[in-house]
Amino acid sequence: MNLRSSVDIITEWDIVAARQLGRNEAKEVGFGTVDQARITTAISELARNIYLYAGKGNIEIKQIAEGNLKGLLVIASDKGPGIPDVRKVMEDGYTTSGGLGAGLPGVKRLMDEFKIDTVVGEGTTISATKWLR
Amino acid sequence: MNISVELVEDNLQVKAVLKGEIDAFTAPILREKLADIQLRENLQIELDLVGVSYMDSTGLGVFVGFYKSVIASNSHMKLTGLSSRLKRLFDITGLGEIMDIQAMSEEVKIDETV
Amino acid sequence: MPQEFKRQYKEILEQYTLRQTEHNLYEGQNFSKQLIQKNISPEEVISIHKASLEEIIPDLPEDVSHSFDLLIEVMIRYGLALKEHQTLIKKQENIKMEMELAANVQQTLLKTKVPEMSGLDIGMISVPVKEMNGDYAHFLSDETSVGIAVADVIGKGIPAALCMSMIKYGMDSLSGAKTDPIIVLDVVNRIVEKSVSDSMFISMFYGRYETTESMFTYASAGHEPPLFYSAKNNEFTELQAKGLLLGVIPNVKYEQHSIVLEKGDFIVIMTDGVTECRSKEGFIEQKKVMEIIESVKEESAQSMVEYVFHKLEELQDFEQRDDFTLVIFKKM
Repeated sequence: MNLRSSVDIITEWDIVAARQLGRNEAKEVGFGTVDQARITTAISELARNIYLYAGKGNIEIKQIAEGNLKGLLVIASDKGPGIPDVRKVMEDGYTTSGGLGAGLPGVKRLMDEFKIDTVVGEGTTISATKWLR
Repeated sequence: MNISVELVEDNLQVKAVLKGEIDAFTAPILREKLADIQLRENLQIELDLVGVSYMDSTGLGVFVGFYKSVIASNSHMKLTGLSSRLKRLFDITGLGEIMDIQAMSEEVKIDETV
Repeated sequence: MPQEFKRQYKEILEQYTLRQTEHNLYEGQNFSKQLIQKNISPEEVISIHKASLEEIIPDLPEDVSHSFDLLIEVMIRYGLALKEHQTLIKKQENIKMEMELAANVQQTLLKTKVPEMSGLDIGMISVPVKEMNGDYAHFLSDETSVGIAVADVIGKGIPAALCMSMIKYGMDSLSGAKTDPIIVLDVVNRIVEKSVSDSMFISMFYGRYETTESMFTYASAGHEPPLFYSAKNNEFTELQAKGLLLGVIPNVKYEQHSIVLEKGDFIVIMTDGVTECRSKEGFIEQKKVMEIIESVKEESAQSMVEYVFHKLEELQDFEQRDDFTLVIFKKM
């Protein structure tokens, strides 16, 4: 099983489209309301980061499976400025968007797996997975 | 507790008028404001302290740091309008010996000691 | 969803929908303690509430049911903020523990023993305002002479404390208690000047007392002048000595002076934590400090310094603002 779909993030409205896509997919996988809300909040946060810091980018959502385990993979990618100090942005209490309890540490908390690849001047790709339990 | 710094620049003359209290909280603000002054050769800087009601050793540190960069850039720095309490602080620390310092005018000083 | 919590919550909710007693509410409150302990996030609690309510009231209007989904969405960030808060608290605890360890290291490093000299009564108190002390007091002594260094690093806390070790290093390189005060200051200044940042500096006083001649010889690097009390004249004078703060420039000329102590005379060495005490009415004037000291001049030097500290603490409404160090040398 490898269903994929994606949304380009160019305007602020695209954040809502990415959320909607994420919610539909999450429902399809079988996530409950709380996990749906967590996944969409994570997507919001990632899409917002693209919109604010890279200008444009893409949110891809994949239904995935590993053995009996089903899950949802969110990939946020952009060709923006990249993150010079990943450790710093992953630190609690450090928020560039001014949102309390959100930012990338928030995304990491909302999801089960979190991976970040970034090169200064080239862009950033963040993959986050949530497993259905 | 607050500090305000008003900068007036005119060619090779800079006058900064400081108002408020200089302590551990306001010293970083003052340091930043002073860093705005573009130090260059023969620049004459006057720091007017008439409006400074309190200063502790952290404040003194800002002036020492600024003094060092002023010397390094061949500019000149003068402190004016010091109250007797501030003057004493500069005298005790020996900074009065190496810095150009002018206390408040004589009449004011006499008033204070009454 | 943790089934056990759901079962318990549903029971409490069911009771409450039936009776609305204070006891039901009290149960709910106690239940929240468990939820917090088990790290159940706010959005989960609402989801539990929604599911329980739907079971208790089978014909719950759909719009009411939907409203909880919005509430879940809203509470996600509260949940995140809570988790972040918990991590930060844990971090803070770690930092605090490290600080305590560092403070212990500092205390061991800067430990100084008040020497016992015949004919001289010495009292010392040094109280940091935070864990780490930015004031420094250190004694050097042999059979006939005792040296006292009192220093104050600009600022407080960790940077100040780290700076202290430099003075300690300088003092340890001296050949002993008979070293001239101006030599002591010169040695320490050279070390400090090379190592500190531009807006950092230290004020330091160094005095040496020789029991054979009852003579106190001293020099100052921009330090608050000590007070000298003459028993014969019943008055205080300042022990002035010109000299620049440590760490500003490498070559400094320090002045050295001497004074002979008579029976009952004493010298009060302090940091600006003493002279910059501010009460509600403004600064506590030097005259006031003198009055306080004079009122206990017949006591032992140690009781004197302790009394002055407590009295000034009282005048400041027990709100110490700066590191506080006070040393008294009194001729017996």
